[in-house]
Amino acid sequence: MLAKESKAKVYLDGRVIAEAKSGRAFAEEVRKNRRLGLISGEINVSYLKKLNEVHINADRGRARKPYIVVEGGQSKFTPELEQRLQSKEIDYNYLVRRGIIEYLDAEEEEDAFVALSSDQINQKTTHLEIDRASMLGLTMNCSVFPEYNSIGRHPISSNFAKQSQGLYAINFNKRYDPRAFIMYYPQVPIVNSMAYRALKIGSHPSGQNLVVALSTYYGYNMKDAVVLNRGAIDRGMGRSMSYKTYSDEERRYPGSQQDRFKVPPPTTESYLGEHAYSKLSEDGIVETETQVTEGDVLIGKVSPPRFLEEETSFGVGEEKSRDNSVTLKAGEEGIVDNVLLCETTSATKIAKVRIRTERIPEIGDKFASRHGQKGVVALIVDPNDMPRTKEGIVPDLLLNPLSLPSRMTFGHMLEMLGGKVGSIGAKQMDGTAFSTEGRALVDEYGALLENYGFDKFGDEDLYDGRTGEKIKAKIFTGVVYYNRLMHMVGLRLQVRSRGPVQILTHQPTEGKPRRGGLRFGEMERDTLVGHGASLLLKERMLDQSDKADVWVCRNCGDIGYYDYIKNQPTCQTCGQNELEKVEISYGFKLLLDEVKSLHVLPRIKINMG
Amino acid sequence: MAKGKKESLIMTSGEAVGTLAAQSIGEPSTQMMLRAFHSAGISSVITTRGLPRVIELIDARKRPRNPGMIIRIEKKISKDYEKVREIWRKLEDVKLSALMSGYDENLRSGVMTVHLDPERLSSYEITGRTIAAKLGKREDITTEQDEKDIVVKIKKKEGVKSTRTVFVNVLNSSIIGIPGINKAVVQQDEDGTFYITTSGSNIGEAMKIDGIEKEDIYSNDPFEVLKNYGVEAARNTIANELISTIKEEGLTVSYRHIGLVADAMTLTGEIKSAGRHGIAGEKASVLARAAYEETVKHFINAGVFGETDRLSGVAENILIGKQIGVGTGRIRLGVRKEDIKKLK
Repeated sequence: MLAKESKAKVYLDGRVIAEAKSGRAFAEEVRKNRRLGLISGEINVSYLKKLNEVHINADRGRARKPYIVVEGGQSKFTPELEQRLQSKEIDYNYLVRRGIIEYLDAEEEEDAFVALSSDQINQKTTHLEIDRASMLGLTMNCSVFPEYNSIGRHPISSNFAKQSQGLYAINFNKRYDPRAFIMYYPQVPIVNSMAYRALKIGSHPSGQNLVVALSTYYGYNMKDAVVLNRGAIDRGMGRSMSYKTYSDEERRYPGSQQDRFKVPPPTTESYLGEHAYSKLSEDGIVETETQVTEGDVLIGKVSPPRFLEEETSFGVGEEKSRDNSVTLKAGEEGIVDNVLLCETTSATKIAKVRIRTERIPEIGDKFASRHGQKGVVALIVDPNDMPRTKEGIVPDLLLNPLSLPSRMTFGHMLEMLGGKVGSIGAKQMDGTAFSTEGRALVDEYGALLENYGFDKFGDEDLYDGRTGEKIKAKIFTGVVYYNRLMHMVGLRLQVRSRGPVQILTHQPTEGKPRRGGLRFGEMERDTLVGHGASLLLKERMLDQSDKADVWVCRNCGDIGYYDYIKNQPTCQTCGQNELEKVEISYGFKLLLDEVKSLHVLPRIKINMG
Repeated sequence: MAKGKKESLIMTSGEAVGTLAAQSIGEPSTQMMLRAFHSAGISSVITTRGLPRVIELIDARKRPRNPGMIIRIEKKISKDYEKVREIWRKLEDVKLSALMSGYDENLRSGVMTVHLDPERLSSYEITGRTIAAKLGKREDITTEQDEKDIVVKIKKKEGVKSTRTVFVNVLNSSIIGIPGINKAVVQQDEDGTFYITTSGSNIGEAMKIDGIEKEDIYSNDPFEVLKNYGVEAARNTIANELISTIKEEGLTVSYRHIGLVADAMTLTGEIKSAGRHGIAGEKASVLARAAYEETVKHFINAGVFGETDRLSGVAENILIGKQIGVGTGRIRLGVRKEDIKKLK
């Protein structure tokens, strides 16, 4: 069967449609016709030598990428065409139509031999990259100097870009996003790339150009901590606004009942108290531009009772209602920015209240550059205490130099240099992928810096603001584009000394929205056992958790209760009144109840020592 | 000074030694997990290393994955390589299938002809006659020895299937050596004495070989040691194996923690695992057992047998909310009745 040279199978979208004598020649023929425009340019074909199969793909959902066609060692994009393109006589689509540029999908790319630049073309070359940078996607092309960074930093920096605060939409004032952040003074990065400019991301910037010195500061920026300049913050650096929208709907229920937005009358069930509703206007929705804090009602809403009441002899009594208002969550505060009232598709009223809070950078907020270098603010220093150059330039941010070598983000340093040149020369710098050669770039920047009267490597003599002394080492200082990330302590900070407990277990609640505590778990318990700190352990597990006084029958050992009418403890099991008050954890009482549900009766024997 | 050192090592009454041991072994074990794969050194005998080995020992597995022995040779011949080789030959378990070049079988007539491989025979210094004699001890077959072949005839023909089973058994039967010992290697100490390491452990059979130091066979299988040398030796085996496994990973755990675990495992005279089938599953307290694993099973059994929990352990007291009897909770203040009168 194998001895005979078999014909190549031709697949169209995964189905065999024909056989070809020579698969390679067939694929070439299809390509030729595609370039001539005889068949659609959206078709891709590949020949798989191992399987002796030709795969033609014409289905949707294939990612495709444009290449310049090379035939016979000659790029089809001739200088003449380039000239015509530049004079706008022809356009890009002309090149695609004429088969000068064609799109390849992942499968056809396997057949292609692509040259990165025109001088690399040889006889085997089939395609030429339009630009070296086009080997990367749009996301990667928006970053600067990506080729100088360690590969593992790219996904990290991409993640940070997603979390950065900026001007995500021009109409943010008319939007009611559940959560949004708007930076006060976002800037276009001084160092940006071709794709960044082409996509006009600069109209939605998400960061600021900060003067960064690679310096320690009395041990305050160890590991990934950064030190910020209070002067810069006071002038608006990193400042942003966070928006949160609370919304509610007037739902309809069976029996022509529905919710109502109004200030709930004190007769409603689970009424929160007069002061909670004090910020509501007559329509039951909070007034704009009022300061609201935790526990304030934003949307007053009353709902019909859960169960219908029975008819009395006086007819249906006055309808009782239930309070179902929306309140500001624990630990939140802000100003009511705007209120939106509208209708849903099912013709019910909907109310949205947008709360705005100013977020000034503080200790614990997170910042990141575009090279996957994140940092948490550890200290905000008054400008007079910050290090300064002889010109009096005070860095906005101090980054620990040890962040760089182990992570191999050379792009960060190049950006510092480029940003410095750009900010002095008042021009945008280019950091497009693969457009530069490292050493030449440093020389170029160095020459420019020397021209401006700076050190060619970007080093500065810094003077310690605290002592006034000159710092012995020269410190690399430049301008880097920093993003303020959406993880801010203000949204996470939480403390508890006393607070709510769970209904079932009588143990403290967990989580920020429930004003909960941090779990003192099994391993934490073991540490106290290991130390022999028996009373501390008891305090954690009992006194500050679910301590309960329980009446235990001296006769039968079951748990009884205290009868406040007869003023004596009572045992339900044996009917006696000889019970002892015992201090146990409520969790144990629950356990005993569960054991009882197993049809096993646990008895407690009390030994009055 | 020696006295001061000794006293510093004595635990205070009420010290939570069990918890300390668990934490001191548990913490390095998490690091072991992170770097599980690496082989160190050249070793002809394969051993289980790292966390899997620790788990194997603590769980008291009846069949460890890679059992092995270190066999010492009697002093007078321990430096004589030829004599040690002789002992080695008696150790490694060689099956008939390892000595032949092939075989023909006729299942219908119940005759199998085994073609012996002379090269392999000479390497093990064995002749066809001894093989035939060895096989002759079996009761279900008769053997005849040819020049190079051994003809095996089955005595009772009970059908093709059982005939085949017998033939397979014959091919797999040990000719020389001790069953269970797959490989043995002669190794030399720095001072020139030879010793043998084996993969596969069978102390009982190895003891029968002359020239072996019978009281100094080391096995890494605690159950083997327990059977042949007793429980104290088994305890030491567990402790030694644990500490050497941990040391191999470049971690250090004080011997006292490991010794405590080994003590607890062998306390009753047999080896018990540290888990739910062993120590933890046999605790006196119902609540402590239920708090660990299989909660419902323990409560129902406690109900059926009317068990009483004295509430004396740590887990029970934390559960009900009492001060634990460990550490500072161990001390109780007592006042005599007469003294109370004096106070008044």
